[in-house]
Amino acid sequence: MKKSTGKRRAALALAALLCLTACGGDVPGGMIIEDREEKREVNLFSPMEKTDPDADNVARTASDLTVAMAEKALGITMVYRTYTAENHRDKTYDDVVLDRARSNLDDLYLLNPDTLLVLGSEGRLADLSGLESARNLRQIVRTANTVDGKLVAIPQEVAAYGLFVNMDLFRQYGLTLPETPEEFLECCRVFQEYGIETPVGANRWWLETFVFAQAYAGLYNGGNIEAEIAALNSGEAKYSSYMRPGFEFLQTLIDRGYIDREKALVSEAIEAERPDFLAGKTPIVMAYWGAANADSAYGKTDFEMRVIGFPSSLGQMPVVSMTGFAVGAGAEHREDALRALDIMTSDEALRLYSETNRVISPSRNIQVDCVPALRPLNDRIEAGVYVLGSNAGMNVEQWGNTCQIVRELLAGASVDACMAAFDRLQEEALAR
Amino acid sequence: MSEKINRQETRRGMPLLLSIILVFIMFGTVVFSVSRRISGEMSASAVQNLRESLDLIESTIEAILRSQVEFQTLIAREIAGAEDPEAYIRAYEGNRTMSGLALIRAGETEGVSNTGAVFSEEGLNFSAGGTVMGLPVSRSYLNDMGTWAYTIKCPVELDGRTVGTLYAEYIYTALDRSLPDGFYNRQATLYIMDGKSRRFVLQPKGMGQRSAGHLNLEDFYRANDMKDPEILSQADACLENGQNYLFYHDVRSVQSLSYMWSVNDGTLYLVGYVPVHAIQQEGRSVTWSILTVVISMLAAFFLCILLYYLNWRQQDQLRREQEEERSLHSRQLTEALRAAQIASESKTTFLSNMSHDIRTPMNAVLGFAALLAKDAENPAKVREYTRKIMASGQHLLSLINDILDVSKIESGKVALSLEAFTFSGMISSVEAMIQPMAKARGQTFRLEVTGIRHECLMGDETRINQVLINLLSNAVKYTPEGGCIWFRIIGLPQRSSQYEHIRIEVEDNGYGMTPEYLETIFDAFTRAENSTTSKVQGTGLGMAITKSLVELMGGTIAVQSEVGRGSLFQVDLELRIGEEQDSRRFWERQGVSCLLAAGGDPESRENIRALMEPTGVVPETAGSPEEAAAWLRSGGDCQLALADWETCGLQGVRTLRKALPPGVPLLLLAEFDAGDTEEALALNRTALLTKPFFVSALQERAAELWAEPGGAEEAGNLRGLHFLAAEDNEINAEILSELMELEGVSCEIVENGLLAVECFRQSGPGTYDAILLDVQMPVMNGHEAARAIRALERPDAGRIPIIAMTANAFTEDERAALDAGMDAHAAKPLDMELLKKLIHQLIKRKEASDP
Repeated sequence: MKKSTGKRRAALALAALLCLTACGGDVPGGMIIEDREEKREVNLFSPMEKTDPDADNVARTASDLTVAMAEKALGITMVYRTYTAENHRDKTYDDVVLDRARSNLDDLYLLNPDTLLVLGSEGRLADLSGLESARNLRQIVRTANTVDGKLVAIPQEVAAYGLFVNMDLFRQYGLTLPETPEEFLECCRVFQEYGIETPVGANRWWLETFVFAQAYAGLYNGGNIEAEIAALNSGEAKYSSYMRPGFEFLQTLIDRGYIDREKALVSEAIEAERPDFLAGKTPIVMAYWGAANADSAYGKTDFEMRVIGFPSSLGQMPVVSMTGFAVGAGAEHREDALRALDIMTSDEALRLYSETNRVISPSRNIQVDCVPALRPLNDRIEAGVYVLGSNAGMNVEQWGNTCQIVRELLAGASVDACMAAFDRLQEEALAR
Repeated sequence: MSEKINRQETRRGMPLLLSIILVFIMFGTVVFSVSRRISGEMSASAVQNLRESLDLIESTIEAILRSQVEFQTLIAREIAGAEDPEAYIRAYEGNRTMSGLALIRAGETEGVSNTGAVFSEEGLNFSAGGTVMGLPVSRSYLNDMGTWAYTIKCPVELDGRTVGTLYAEYIYTALDRSLPDGFYNRQATLYIMDGKSRRFVLQPKGMGQRSAGHLNLEDFYRANDMKDPEILSQADACLENGQNYLFYHDVRSVQSLSYMWSVNDGTLYLVGYVPVHAIQQEGRSVTWSILTVVISMLAAFFLCILLYYLNWRQQDQLRREQEEERSLHSRQLTEALRAAQIASESKTTFLSNMSHDIRTPMNAVLGFAALLAKDAENPAKVREYTRKIMASGQHLLSLINDILDVSKIESGKVALSLEAFTFSGMISSVEAMIQPMAKARGQTFRLEVTGIRHECLMGDETRINQVLINLLSNAVKYTPEGGCIWFRIIGLPQRSSQYEHIRIEVEDNGYGMTPEYLETIFDAFTRAENSTTSKVQGTGLGMAITKSLVELMGGTIAVQSEVGRGSLFQVDLELRIGEEQDSRRFWERQGVSCLLAAGGDPESRENIRALMEPTGVVPETAGSPEEAAAWLRSGGDCQLALADWETCGLQGVRTLRKALPPGVPLLLLAEFDAGDTEEALALNRTALLTKPFFVSALQERAAELWAEPGGAEEAGNLRGLHFLAAEDNEINAEILSELMELEGVSCEIVENGLLAVECFRQSGPGTYDAILLDVQMPVMNGHEAARAIRALERPDAGRIPIIAMTANAFTEDERAALDAGMDAHAAKPLDMELLKKLIHQLIKRKEASDP
């Protein structure tokens, strides 16, 4: 008994000693020398969307993953510089990116096709042809991003635009999915008849996709692309003659009230039309491929959603556009930026990006399954049926200019005035 | 006692418990207050820390602004002195701090910029009234480089006269280089906001800062879920007044300290938030340390308490065990003392009773013996005196037997002698003994047997008889004259197929017993004493013996009684079922295939039918003798007939006897005390069978009838026989001699066993018909003598009946005698009738075995 108690006491004393020992620590002393590490930074300028709190944009997250790969591989820090217009009166991202690129404020830029062409033409973008990742690009991607023989941008995804339709409403009113502009107008008429005043949700950015589908359906699907583009670049053919049907179509939509002109003119992409579409009040909106994926703008709907091509004489027509990364020719950290882009657009990074976002990859080596809603659009693209929203081979920039002229139409300009604007642009291009 | 100790312990334990609780409360209070104080101080320190950091940033930015103004003022002076100010301006090449420079001469609205373009104030907004060192600062705007910028205008003075205004554009990115890199270990968010437009002009950079919310203040509120109207209005008021504002708010579920810190009198604001844990990082470490210390102390404290408790519990358990042991000893001692006292009292009472009980018959024996001597010539008186002496002697004998029984039982020396016996035999012997006693007291004695499935059982018949006789004789004794006694044997459901489970009930409507007496009825040396029973003689050992015997046989005994209403004793026994005699073969051998039973109630007839079924004999029952006679006349054939005496009567028996063939025996089934049967029994081949009906009894009686058609031979006639006896006690020898003479037996008596052996050896074969040997004798005792005789080499040595005569009357004595080669055992004092019957049986057996 006594022995046992003695053992317990000894154990207790040992535990106390251990505690005391454990509580003790090294007392800091002496001189502290701090090593200042030289930081290698690459400035990346990109647009920023306004989103809800706590809802991280999936596409951005996927892009961030590839940026992290580059940071890890190169030991650099990617410094984000962003700009978003507060309202339509503000400078647009494209305006700002042009200014910044011209001032060499940043190293890497995420560029829309129009700014790409402008900056590329001005020689402010570095040639990316020598990058390892450039070898994997699909030809269409290479073509769309080549200016004056230089590959000036590499996208992380091929952005396909389409119409997002509420199948429940189509079924409810006994409608089939429209193939041609006429069928589309008929659908809108029926919807309006049943009390849906504005069947098409629109914003100030993407109405141009209707125009491209009708303008270039023939050019990119069966036409002699090189010859036709050469004719346009030489002035033998008019851009306006390609564009007119699309503009007249938009004018009809405006005239019949199928789109809310005033609202569209001041609305940012997705922001304005999303609530009504998700609520089942608007049966048709337009958006890019990634918006149909889970956790994206239209990823979760209470109804059956499908993504189809825009109406054209050749049926449903996807419009493909690319937002690519470019490196400033006079960038302060140009070499690091090129290396970082090479990693961000490598097959490994693009696979990660495509699998995360379930989008079409610009690399010919990567195929990714799409969500069921995107199958109609995907089937057309897989069949080689689509039009390009931008083509660096054309001497008149398409994506930005068309967007701007569509805004003029929304603002009240006539179709003829809009066509005149195209003619002016073509003349300016020829003069250059 | 134990409860009292427990209460005392509880009372002692309470203050200790309260003290511990008090210590805990005090300790907890101290820890809590210290923690609160530390937490409060740390919180205040955190706020102070953030204030200092923001102050530092504010000072830095203001210093930059001042240096920019100073530099611009310097340029203005240079331009004032320059020959061609416009050329000076155009010569300036913009950089990433001061991106543009322009001059408008006094009195003009347009001037020149460093790019050579025409410059006007249009597009610049100085209405906000912000100044740096007295120079106006414009509201922020997005400049041609695509970055946020502001312009400061400075007057160009020459000789105290304003000759123009110098505009310099600064971009916010320049401030970025001077701001801390990784504010609060990169956990804090820091924006620079234009005070008037509330747009963010400088945003965080790097990964992880790309969430929405850095467009303007509204965007910041929305992105960080800042909705509290009070906070927003206070923030608004502070922004309007150029004041600083700090508030707590959860940003993405993390408690954060948000801030709006005025720079340059509210021209700019530092906006952002810092997670509280980031500010209190050191504080948290201190808190954890305190917590660790507190937990360690608590653990040590609890460990001490636990060790103390374990030790205390061990001691307490030891103490309890000792107390329990002491208490047990004390209780045992008390009980032993009480038992000793009771035993002493009981034995004193018992001795007193015995003294009285023994002296009373002894007095009668001696008194009548004296009278006998005096009136020897008067034969009538002699017979009267000797009868009374006999009665007193019998009583004395029963007293002595009881005492000896108790002595044996108490010393655990009683052994049961298990042998096969039949219910019929047991009941008839008990009934034969009790019925006369009851009759003598005018009591009704009723015997009922129900539910018995097996008649032949294994058990100590003598002891069972003893139990029954004890109970029944008590019932007779303690029931007044004219009362009723019921003796029931009931078959209970068997618990094992090999055992008959029976209940024996003895009930009377006699005096009954008090509840107090019932408690001690089975204790030795007690006797119910009251005015009614005081005239009843007895040792008071009967019930103790009964209970002991019942328990020895594995049974139970219970009693219910009520004063003035009678008593009921119930004895439950389980007796092994004996091997039934092959009854079927007996009846077949006798050629009996049909039994005719006449009279009796339907139940008894049914009982007869059920009991006869296993024998193979067909029972033919008739409600009356006439009916039975009619059946016989109609051709019915039976080999044995039964007639219920109580219902048939003499006339009925005659009718039946007449109808029966002459050779067929007729048995009268009658109560034990049935009277007036002589005439009926005189009829041809008619005999008596006592109720209740048992097959074994029927078989026995029928066998006698067939064996001795003329009737039973007188059993106990020993006349003409010659015995050899060994008895060392002269008086006993004389009594034996006299008794034998009375029976017409000649008896040669020797003094010890050796002489008896010699006598037998020297005698010729057939000289003696039997040898009677006392057991305890000098020279050679009875057992040795018997062995010696059996060992003699003569033909009759092994066959001659040898009977032990001894006062050692226990079972083991009998067994010892049989083991020594004797044939039987007769207890002293000798019961001549019993002895005669015994000798007769032995001689018959010997004759049968003689070649």
